Amino acid sequence: MMKRLFLSMCLAACTAVSSAAAPIEKIQNMLAKPKMLCGRFDQTKQLSGMKKPLLSNGRFCVVNGKGVLWRTLQPFPSTLRLTRDEIVQFQGERVATRLDAKQEPTVRMINSVLFSLLSGDLSQLQSLFEVDGSADVKSWRVALKAREPALAKAIGDITLEGGAYVNNITLSETSGDKTNIVFSAIQTGETALLPEEAALF
Amino acid sequence: MNRRGLALAWALVVCMLLGHNAYLWLGKRIVPDTDILALLPVQKRDPILQQSFTHMVEASQQRVVVLIGAADWADAQRASDAYESVLATRKDLLQGTELTDQMQNDWLAKFQQHSLTLLTSQQEVQLRMQPAEFWVDSALAKLYSPFSGPKLGAWRDDPFGLFGQWVQERAQETPVRPRDGRLFVANKDKQYVLLPLTLAVPAFSMDAQRVVVPLLEQAKAAAHAAVPKAEIITAGVVLHAAAAGEQASGEVSTIGLGSLAGIILLMWLSFRSFKPIALILLSIGIGFLGSLSICWLLFERIHLLTLVFGASLIGVAQDYGIYFLCNRLSADPKLDSTALLKRLMPGLALTLLAAVIGYMGLAFTPFPGLRQMALFSALGLIFAWLTVVCWFPLMISGGTLKSGALVRTYGNALKHWPLLRMNKATLSLVAVFTVLAAIGFSRLGANDDIRLLQNPPKHLIDDQIKLSMLLDAPTPVQFFLVRGANSEIVLQREEALKKRLDPLIAQQKINGYQAMSNWVPSAQTQDARRALLEEKLLKDDGPLTQLAEKIGEDKAWAATTRAHLLESGKLLTLNEFLKTPASEPWRHLWLGDVEGVTASIVALRGVSNVDLPLLQKTAAGLEGVQWVDKVDEISSVLGLYRQYMSWVVLAAYVVVFGLLFPRYRRHTWRVLAPTAVASITTLALLGFAGQNLQLFHVLALMLLLGVGVDYGIFMQEHPNRRNTTPWLAVGLSAANTILSFGLLGLSRTPALQAFGLTMLMGTALVWLLVPCFGRENTDDSRA
Repeated sequence: MMKRLFLSMCLAACTAVSSAAAPIEKIQNMLAKPKMLCGRFDQTKQLSGMKKPLLSNGRFCVVNGKGVLWRTLQPFPSTLRLTRDEIVQFQGERVATRLDAKQEPTVRMINSVLFSLLSGDLSQLQSLFEVDGSADVKSWRVALKAREPALAKAIGDITLEGGAYVNNITLSETSGDKTNIVFSAIQTGETALLPEEAALF
Repeated sequence: MNRRGLALAWALVVCMLLGHNAYLWLGKRIVPDTDILALLPVQKRDPILQQSFTHMVEASQQRVVVLIGAADWADAQRASDAYESVLATRKDLLQGTELTDQMQNDWLAKFQQHSLTLLTSQQEVQLRMQPAEFWVDSALAKLYSPFSGPKLGAWRDDPFGLFGQWVQERAQETPVRPRDGRLFVANKDKQYVLLPLTLAVPAFSMDAQRVVVPLLEQAKAAAHAAVPKAEIITAGVVLHAAAAGEQASGEVSTIGLGSLAGIILLMWLSFRSFKPIALILLSIGIGFLGSLSICWLLFERIHLLTLVFGASLIGVAQDYGIYFLCNRLSADPKLDSTALLKRLMPGLALTLLAAVIGYMGLAFTPFPGLRQMALFSALGLIFAWLTVVCWFPLMISGGTLKSGALVRTYGNALKHWPLLRMNKATLSLVAVFTVLAAIGFSRLGANDDIRLLQNPPKHLIDDQIKLSMLLDAPTPVQFFLVRGANSEIVLQREEALKKRLDPLIAQQKINGYQAMSNWVPSAQTQDARRALLEEKLLKDDGPLTQLAEKIGEDKAWAATTRAHLLESGKLLTLNEFLKTPASEPWRHLWLGDVEGVTASIVALRGVSNVDLPLLQKTAAGLEGVQWVDKVDEISSVLGLYRQYMSWVVLAAYVVVFGLLFPRYRRHTWRVLAPTAVASITTLALLGFAGQNLQLFHVLALMLLLGVGVDYGIFMQEHPNRRNTTPWLAVGLSAANTILSFGLLGLSRTPALQAFGLTMLMGTALVWLLVPCFGRENTDDSRA
């Protein structure tokens, strides 16, 4: 029951940092798979019943073996941290919500999928999604559709675009809400992570 | 009296008994009662309580739960496939649970229509305490984050994330999740596939045990063949039943066959013939079947414990036959058997009367179980006795039996046996004995734990513990029972109880609770929550309006959203919920209407034994709420029976003394003393051995009184030490009793072990002591 909720989160997290596609091998070879990766994101959300799209931007970091940090800076600072055993949402300094694996077993599952994705193991993604994609020399594009109807209904369609890294994600939910995230200014290596970000891990 | 006519009349009665028994076992296929609560006094039983047990326990009885784990989910799935493919061959025995997309899909639909009335208690507190900015901030964070936790439907359906959190709290009532069309749980090291199976045959039937357990073993082997490192955890009542059955049949074949062989050998050495053993078995058999027939006619049911206790009567019932046979052996072969019986009649009659009166003492207790046992025992003895009196003289004539060398050697031992005299040595012996017995008694504790009745093998307990840790499932034997005039009152009372349980969760005394009101709050609570939510979040200039400003929407948007949210403010009713597939795992908590009262169960997760008194106190003062602990209740039944039985044993001594007095006068104490001393010594020895007194020790002492008095009467009937006949009867009877019951001391079931050990020590002691209480220099006037 909770699966679809968490998988939708998980998937969004996963796809934000890496990608999987068909022909998988080709795309996998194209991806850089660095140990540490940070960059800027620009998110556009179009919600049903709202006239204007919601714009936000911030920084994101993916650290192999540790987890994911998603820092919304504008217009409203808030940070999301996904590690092996928990998912924590900070609102400023305050912990707004914390979900740990003891309470919610799927947390670990989400993270294991996430980590296997980061290490380039795409089999997990393929077991959950039908992967339909195309690739040319420098870029690729993949559409994901959940194999289970319940999951598909909950998360809708996902499109990924990228080259050495993922550049663009689009989430189209069945409820009509639509989210597009564009990644830019990607840095890799030890220096990519800012000191305040390192402190959060 | 016409002997032949009497024998024929008895034969007719026996034929009727056989016919009735054949009808009962083969025609009606009667099954003994096993519910230990059926032994409780009737007025103490509560039909609603009873039904709550049935609900919780019987539902779990037919269940077999299997967990198949591996470090890797894919491995766990492969092992599970192998396991299930074996089970699929026998769908007539074990059925799996199908997971359908439909179930997952519709799970939330019902609740979404009522999302405005469903709040967690934490949210309720937050709504009262937190300022408007808190809610605006929460909504914005949720809005801008791409993956901000559980999200159901469009953002607009739940802008403040309240419903999402409520659903999440519900989901956390169980750690089990659907994953890839299977049920899934995990711990730190392993991922498990959960297979909830339902037995299609009764768990306590022999069929189930004989076929299901090997099938599960086979499935386990297949899973291991597919994934060698897979961990398979299995739990279910059927496994315990099978293990108990296996243990019992193992013990029957070792202890039972051993004692039977010993008895046959002993009888053959004594009488050089198999006829006596056949005759004695005949008398015992008729006694057992006769009492079963009449008990069934009177009660129309029979309890398993009655049968168990009744079976132990063999120890007493055999005495009549043995006494007759021993006298036949030593009497002049020319003496007619009928004449011999006439001479033995006073002693025989007294032994029967003493035993019957002793057992009838049980009939005066308020417990239906004990009454049944009393009647069963007394009837069994009467039937066995009548068989001896009516048939034995005609079946055994003088000279049929010859004694062997063993009998002569044994008989000679009597001459050298010490005899207690009134002197200093005796007095000091009595003083030492009294002190030692007092010390032994002071060390004797009491134990009425239900685990005495069964002790499952360690691997089953280990699996059970692992399983309950992984699944965090509530125990089916300890829970709160909530009652009220209608469902709204019951739900309100559940909520009052939950308010008291919440601090216990915070203190980590319990992990949580499962209750129908978690899903369907009372109408009162739903109303209050909706009103609170409307006031704090939706009113004009409230968080919703402020939120609209922040995201650049106008008042019209806020008005539309408010109207949209208010659409899902209808109250959720219990009946509606019970119709949804989402209620399936919780339906057993709702007992519904029982005899005009509505009742429900609040089950607890993660209860440790230490906290039981605390939980009992929690219910105190709450109207219609009752703490129920079946383990405790059964233990208290056992404890009450132990106490009552102890008094009955003491009273039986007094009654038997009074009965024997007219015949033995100042020597009456000599009949009872060996048994009394043996019983006291046995209890003292148990105390020194650090054993705790339990019902089955006391039941054995009651039986010991029955056999011990027989030995005392035999010896006092023939006080002359040169007459070894009573000594032979005592020896044979005691040896048989030790072989049949004493060997139960080797049993691994604590209850049977306690019974056997007491009988072993007690009977041996009576045997050894009985000659010491003989009379000095008397002629054998009564023989």
